[in-house]
Amino acid sequence: MTNASEVLSSIQSAFPGAVLDSRVESDRRLWATIDSKKILDVCKHLTTKLNFDHYSGSAGVDWIARKEMEVVEIMASHGAHQVVAMLKVKTPRENPSVKSLTGLYWNANWYEREIWEMFGINFEGHPELYPLLLSDELMGAWPWRKDYKGYPDLTTGERAVKISTPEGYTEYHIPPTPAEVEAGTVVTVRLKYPTLREREEKEIKSDSEMIMHLGPQHAMVPGPFLLDVLVEGERVHKAFLDLGYIHKGIEKIMENRSWLQGITYTDRMCYVASLSNNECYCGAIEKILGLEVPLRAQYIRVILEELSRIQSHLIGTGEFLTLIAGVGYAPWQYMIIDRENIISLIESVTGARLTHTFVRFGGVRNDLPAGFADQCKKVLPYMKSRTEEFIELFAQDPIYHKRMDGVGIIRPDDAKRMGVSGPPLRAAGVAYDMRKEDPILVYPELDFKVVTGTKGDSADRIDVRLREMLESIHIIEQCLDRIPEGPIKTEVKVPKKVPAGEAYYRVEDPRGEMGMYVISDGGDKPYRVKVRGPFYATFQTLTPLLEGTYIADAVAIAGSMDGCPSEADR
Amino acid sequence: MGISDVIPVPVAIDEEIEKWTIFGQPVAEVWFTTTEKIHQIIEMGPIKNIFNWGRKNSVYFLMQPMGCCGVEMFVFGAAPYDSDRFGCIPRNTPRQTDVMIISGYLTRKYLPVFKNLWDEMPEPKWCIAIGECAISGGPFYDSYNIVQNTGDHFPIDVFIPGCPPRPEQFLEGLMNLQEKIKQRKDKRDY
Repeated sequence: MTNASEVLSSIQSAFPGAVLDSRVESDRRLWATIDSKKILDVCKHLTTKLNFDHYSGSAGVDWIARKEMEVVEIMASHGAHQVVAMLKVKTPRENPSVKSLTGLYWNANWYEREIWEMFGINFEGHPELYPLLLSDELMGAWPWRKDYKGYPDLTTGERAVKISTPEGYTEYHIPPTPAEVEAGTVVTVRLKYPTLREREEKEIKSDSEMIMHLGPQHAMVPGPFLLDVLVEGERVHKAFLDLGYIHKGIEKIMENRSWLQGITYTDRMCYVASLSNNECYCGAIEKILGLEVPLRAQYIRVILEELSRIQSHLIGTGEFLTLIAGVGYAPWQYMIIDRENIISLIESVTGARLTHTFVRFGGVRNDLPAGFADQCKKVLPYMKSRTEEFIELFAQDPIYHKRMDGVGIIRPDDAKRMGVSGPPLRAAGVAYDMRKEDPILVYPELDFKVVTGTKGDSADRIDVRLREMLESIHIIEQCLDRIPEGPIKTEVKVPKKVPAGEAYYRVEDPRGEMGMYVISDGGDKPYRVKVRGPFYATFQTLTPLLEGTYIADAVAIAGSMDGCPSEADR
Repeated sequence: MGISDVIPVPVAIDEEIEKWTIFGQPVAEVWFTTTEKIHQIIEMGPIKNIFNWGRKNSVYFLMQPMGCCGVEMFVFGAAPYDSDRFGCIPRNTPRQTDVMIISGYLTRKYLPVFKNLWDEMPEPKWCIAIGECAISGGPFYDSYNIVQNTGDHFPIDVFIPGCPPRPEQFLEGLMNLQEKIKQRKDKRDY
């Protein structure tokens, strides 16, 4: 089994002088600063020789005091070993530019586009540096830089100007005020890049092709996103994705809040599964602080996260069934009714239906209420029988299988290459689960198996989700039997200021691998919080997946991914 | 134009009827009149109340989830809370809806799209702002991308506070809107 120090020595021997600075945090975390000229070679070496086949994302950091910017590449492996390598590349703050990894990793595309539009770091060799999340009027303001003085102008409503374009579209423009120009929150010099519509229209090759918009408003997706498909008859030739319709800038806002206040923002990142977001953020900070979580608190966290997973999968499956429309509206109602049982269980502990803010640094907010175990023992067997019923229903329904079999197949190699995680990856047959891979809390002591599919199509993804719910119920039952008495918070007083340091923490979200990269500079606020959301990676795969499918399947494929655009936009 | 021009009645009756008034207007003008006049009469009298009674009992809303409140909106429209009891049925397209629910953060990028959705809705239409984000920006009040003053863009009748509000609060807000429609106190004055 490879560990972090072996990886480091392998890089050092292959490329002498390439590692400028390094720190081996544990067997599983390697931090290294790599010479910006050699980053491509180092990444190629890691991928080919050391099984780092999972490009997990990248983060930009603005070190304004040191007058430099940093791009952190997060590399991991699909089960060959558990090392996560955090490779930093430095670049001066004036005209920042680093080498693009899009040639090596297909899924680096979106991560680099995001860093470009937020920090203004140029990526040499990137094929399409277009804005991803921001609206056109904010492009060039570089809002995530530390010297950005952005603040919304309260008079935007009166200033909106309605413009009818010659093509028949209606557009609204908000001209900047002098105050905004002075503060630097708006850009006066426009960057030159083709807009989405121009890019789309360039792809139209013949008269029989046309562009169809699916979104941004959609009734059955918990957040708006734009999916444009270029169709010829019923065939989709090309798909275009545009997100950022609910981009709130959470990562920037968290830099202006205290450590504790940050937990409330993690709730609102993916509101369908906010407890695992809480866990991810708190876990990262516990790692910097070196806090030990009491055993009872660990069990409470696991119970709630698994309950949260069940309700998230229920809502995801219900959405999918409504989207494919053949099955109709009734299953959605069944899923929502069942979900209410789980929600009321969670609510009895946390006091909230969706936004819990329950996990704390070194523990949880409050203990389980009296009678919680009894209530669970009533609900869980019922949920188990319902889930088994759903599984049987889907397995036996010939119409459903005729509709869904072989639709939107992701092969295991492609899934790994595209950075997909969670149920879509497991449906392709890759048993990659953070609860086994990078275990946290009491997961190593619990008995559960990683559910995998065989075909990797839409039906398989739904099947994996439903069977995962059974595993979750099994986990909760074990936890309820084993949960000890004791404190629910660490006895160490959690300081207001977190000592300088950095940590990367991964949890298994209902949608897949969620990681948070937290940097502290010793202050009472985070210096930088980077969220590696699972759906961001899955979202990216929609474009190649939809090519060549029928238009009716486009919705089914997008729905089977269990989308949460809010977590992709942040 | 008098009554006797249409119906053969003695001129005396015609003169008598011309003295009559309805809602302060000569009755002859009211009886033989244009569509515009009919609308005026509806505006004046209790017929409007009958119209609004019908409108208040069929407030279809646009299923338009755009935040945490959107997930609660799913539940509000589904079986457990059953908004259908109040004549409030979720619809998927703006062309079939009466009520726009702003269910979350309105961003700079989404605002133009959202205005288009609002323009696509047929009259009469109402708007409800749900959650702190839609009311004032909420926890994202200092974000560079959030439009705080949704009230400047849309005539919002009911504000439902909460982060997110519970489905029961959705029901309460909806009933408040119905009461407003009934009492003819809504922003757009239907």
